[in-house]
Amino acid sequence: MTLTTPMIWIILPLVVAAVCVVLNKRRVFGLILTSITAFGLALLAAFFPEEMALSIGPLALVFEDSLTILGRRITLAYEMLPFIAFIFGMLGLWGLSSNLPGVPETFRPIGLIMTASLTAAMGVEPFLYAALLIETAVLVSIPMLASAEQVNHRALLRYLSLMTIAMPLILISGWLLTGVVILPPESPLIGQAAMLLGLGFALWLAVFPFHSWVPMVSHGSHPTVVSFLLFILPTTILVFGLNFLNRYSFLRTSEEIFNILRLVGTVMIVFGGVWTALQDDLKRAFGFAALVETGFSLLAVGFSTEGGLRWMLMLFPARALGYWLWGYVLTRFEHHNGSLEISTVKGFARSYPLLSVGLLLAQLSVAGLPLLASFPIKIALLTQTAGSGGGVGIWSFFGSLGLFLFTIRLLLYFVMPLDDEIDRLWPTLEKTSEFLPVLVLVLVLVLIGLMPNTFLAWIANILTAFPQLQ
Amino acid sequence: MEVMSTFAFVLIVITAMAILIFRDWRINAGALALQYLAAFALVTLSWPIGLAIVKLITGWMATAAIALTCLRQKNTKDSIESGASLVFRGLSGLLIILLIFILTPTLQARVFPQVDLLILQGGLMLVGMSLMQLGTNSEHYLVVISLLSFLAGFEVIHAALELSMLLAGLMVVVNLGLALVGVYFMIRVGEPDESSEDEALA
Repeated sequence: MTLTTPMIWIILPLVVAAVCVVLNKRRVFGLILTSITAFGLALLAAFFPEEMALSIGPLALVFEDSLTILGRRITLAYEMLPFIAFIFGMLGLWGLSSNLPGVPETFRPIGLIMTASLTAAMGVEPFLYAALLIETAVLVSIPMLASAEQVNHRALLRYLSLMTIAMPLILISGWLLTGVVILPPESPLIGQAAMLLGLGFALWLAVFPFHSWVPMVSHGSHPTVVSFLLFILPTTILVFGLNFLNRYSFLRTSEEIFNILRLVGTVMIVFGGVWTALQDDLKRAFGFAALVETGFSLLAVGFSTEGGLRWMLMLFPARALGYWLWGYVLTRFEHHNGSLEISTVKGFARSYPLLSVGLLLAQLSVAGLPLLASFPIKIALLTQTAGSGGGVGIWSFFGSLGLFLFTIRLLLYFVMPLDDEIDRLWPTLEKTSEFLPVLVLVLVLVLIGLMPNTFLAWIANILTAFPQLQ
Repeated sequence: MEVMSTFAFVLIVITAMAILIFRDWRINAGALALQYLAAFALVTLSWPIGLAIVKLITGWMATAAIALTCLRQKNTKDSIESGASLVFRGLSGLLIILLIFILTPTLQARVFPQVDLLILQGGLMLVGMSLMQLGTNSEHYLVVISLLSFLAGFEVIHAALELSMLLAGLMVVVNLGLALVGVYFMIRVGEPDESSEDEALA
């Protein structure tokens, strides 16, 4: 029996999403189905045999890596499977938290559809059509992000508009680039194509000044949903961007382009860091911190020739786990407290000690505190940045302090007693079911921080799918 | 053929201006439907009619979805605007038209030599007008109509560059998805505010 890999990692999640939509009132069933599907597909991708054949008892399954649709092919090659395993694994993790208070019922099917669309985007040929699949994922994401607030609608319309404008830019620049290969290096068309491409990616990645929707959506939508969106979209867009570097040698060899990427990355780190430090709203702070992380990814791409792409890829799992924990604790706090203004979480370390520690460690892990997951990669990246000169290193370092400062501010609020509580005992209000996931995740973050190569290096194997970038 | 494409271009200019200037959903929906007809006429210059008609049908379906939702919304208000704001938007539209007439010959010569000038002008007219519209209002259905116009403009130009069934299929998904998102927003806005209801009950 012959199957294709796109049927497994694209069609099957779409079918499961349809089942979740039909049975959307059965939340527990939806949670189990989504998580089992996502974790199952992640495990299958992680342990898929290189010869693309599986034997289950008497049944012998042979897999092809391509599926033809309307005359074009979607190819999920063996080399891309680590990345697919990663995004499906993370979908499973977010699926587990889809029954938290306030998470929209649409989150599970939309999560599956988005992950399937973005997986298809990784393998569609010609690769430029991925822009349309990414746009599809954006369109699908709207219902899970929408809340009853008008402000939230304005944020979503901005998000939708910027993402939609990006898609044609990528398609047109891709068309221009196909002609660029045969042009002499001094041709002005090369610069024009690169400019359109850069603009398209800047819109997609919410690069300054196209960033405004990120904190707005982060503020107005559910934290669990936002954390998923801010994880999956930039991650897949950045991996999709590797296609361009792999295919067009003028992009790979242009020192100017790498300098621009470093500069843009640094601007995002500084800008996002300063705004994170000054935030009074925990959800908005998360949005700005996500911008800083995009900045780090761009900075890493800027150091491609020094191994930056490996750092960019290795940051993904550490960041994703940090985001999940961050979104999880914010969801719990929002449920308990209603508001997530920093002044309203006074004394939370007394009532919710382990959840508070979880939030602080999630932030510190994303920020790159020693012993936590992102630290080994960020220190390598910042060391490289500091050695490159031009002020990029020092600015990146100061920018990355923004999240540390915000965390210290938050810690002070967490331990600050309420006026009527000074002489009283500290009543703990959190339940075991609430803080158990926090303890597990913190343990995982510490383990990754202690053994980064064991837990993070595998994802860099996807670079074998981009032969020119190894 | 040339007469038809010139007529289509003129229709694009008129409908794009109408969408930019007026805020009445009836005028906008009608203009959007005509705009898709004109875009279809320009796409037929590059694609076979059998494939180009997909864009027309998709566009009309998207328009119908938005128009019917506007029709059903009980709280859709007919906004009364001052003459000055209409004149301002009209002038900004004229500026876009002027800009496109100045820029397109150079753009055609340098970047898109194989694309007909009318196609380029028609496509860019839609793109330019819709970007201006996006920059000047934040009303749900107008934003979605602007995005649909923007994509229609892009499709007119891209059709002259590439012929692909998969691309056409994906564009159908994106256009209809966008219209559905617009409908979703309009319905959410039309819903009574849950928080205010809760307060009233309390």
